[in-house]
Amino acid sequence: MLIEIIDIGVGNVHSIENLIHKLNIPTKIISTPQEIKSDFLILPGVGSAKLYMHKLQNSGFDKAIKKHLKENKKLLGICLGFQVLGKYSDEDGGVQGLGVIDGYTKRLDNNLSNNTWQEFNLKKENLLIENFIPNLKLTKKQGIRGRVFYNHEYGFICKDTNCFTKPISINLNKYSSIVIKGNIIGMQFHPEKSQQTGIDLMSLIL
Amino acid sequence: MRIGSTILLLDGYCYQSYQWNKLRPLGKLQSVIDSLEEYECDEISIIRPIRNNDTDKSFFKDIDTIASLKCLTPISFGGGLREKKHLEQLHQLPIERLVFSSAFIQKDLELLKYAKDLFGNQAIQALLPFKIEDNIPYIFSSSINSYIKFSNKDLNFINKYANEIILYDTSNEGTLDNYNKDIFKYINIINDKIIISGSIGKNTIKTAKKLSIASILIENRVLHKEYSMKDYKNA
Repeated sequence: MLIEIIDIGVGNVHSIENLIHKLNIPTKIISTPQEIKSDFLILPGVGSAKLYMHKLQNSGFDKAIKKHLKENKKLLGICLGFQVLGKYSDEDGGVQGLGVIDGYTKRLDNNLSNNTWQEFNLKKENLLIENFIPNLKLTKKQGIRGRVFYNHEYGFICKDTNCFTKPISINLNKYSSIVIKGNIIGMQFHPEKSQQTGIDLMSLIL
Repeated sequence: MRIGSTILLLDGYCYQSYQWNKLRPLGKLQSVIDSLEEYECDEISIIRPIRNNDTDKSFFKDIDTIASLKCLTPISFGGGLREKKHLEQLHQLPIERLVFSSAFIQKDLELLKYAKDLFGNQAIQALLPFKIEDNIPYIFSSSINSYIKFSNKDLNFINKYANEIILYDTSNEGTLDNYNKDIFKYINIINDKIIISGSIGKNTIKTAKKLSIASILIENRVLHKEYSMKDYKNA
């Protein structure tokens, strides 16, 4: 399997590359939609939502990602790369998203900034139910438990009642930590900066 | 509360600093990062201890060093981020957050807004290296290489544009557990925006926990004793 990481000029694509290499899985950083060959794309993201969406649209990645998903291929969005999968974001006065997950992004309550490590666990059956993975291999790990790193001021509110999602924490329980919807996974936290838990999580997914 | 470490990086090598003027070599950045990662350090702040004599050659050498890092721990980076051309070199680096000092002291709004566009508002940290003398707080301005008197008027700007603020005790840096907590009397910032660094020990950590401070950054001496990060976490 080859994992392709989308590089639109913002975000730390090499951290993601480093994480995937820990699993001995080959990666390729791509900066144009024409380069997409893989069945698994990663959309990392930091920066302001407006500039990020502008770059996605200008490069043609917005249409390419939708086409990729229609072909039932997989996508992992991380942080801002997750938030833009929703219908819109309140950031920068309002920005339209890709709309591939029913949900939206808004400023965290009380203008909070969530720069923390939080406990996180995920069972493989959650991926199975959403058909993200085809079957359970009993010889492999069935779930992970650890801690993940968050660094954000805006949060994703999932409106889709027919997907798997988990809240960030008790205090931020209306915002999604992770959403799994068919062939799409979105993560608000940074698996590439979550030390061993990040490796275990990606090992479960890939 | 996050418990992390400050690493000083200059011309590709790491140093421990004592009272803001003596540097002791600690070796290569990757070795230091590997050790901290093994100790489950929550975050690492890589700071270039430059003054008004920084050069592009030195800056880009350090950028190359960071670009080659293999790291799974959150990293912030600062020291010499004074122009847009510096920020444009950063997007390929394994860093999440940017640390600005001169930009906040000189109120360089254009640079800070550019950084926000590239990295997001959550990524902007202000570094205020301070000392207190005769009950007067001073902030070190690296671009002029000297301390200036600090007033809370300057804080309005910093508070508005910084997601978190690092209060770095330069007088006691490198010593065991002497962080000057009087700074909280002079600088009026909400505690969950504050990061403290410079002479952090267990007593300081206990105080920081009581005050619900966002994070503490222990200087490079955390490397001296294996598992010391774990000890600090249990302080």
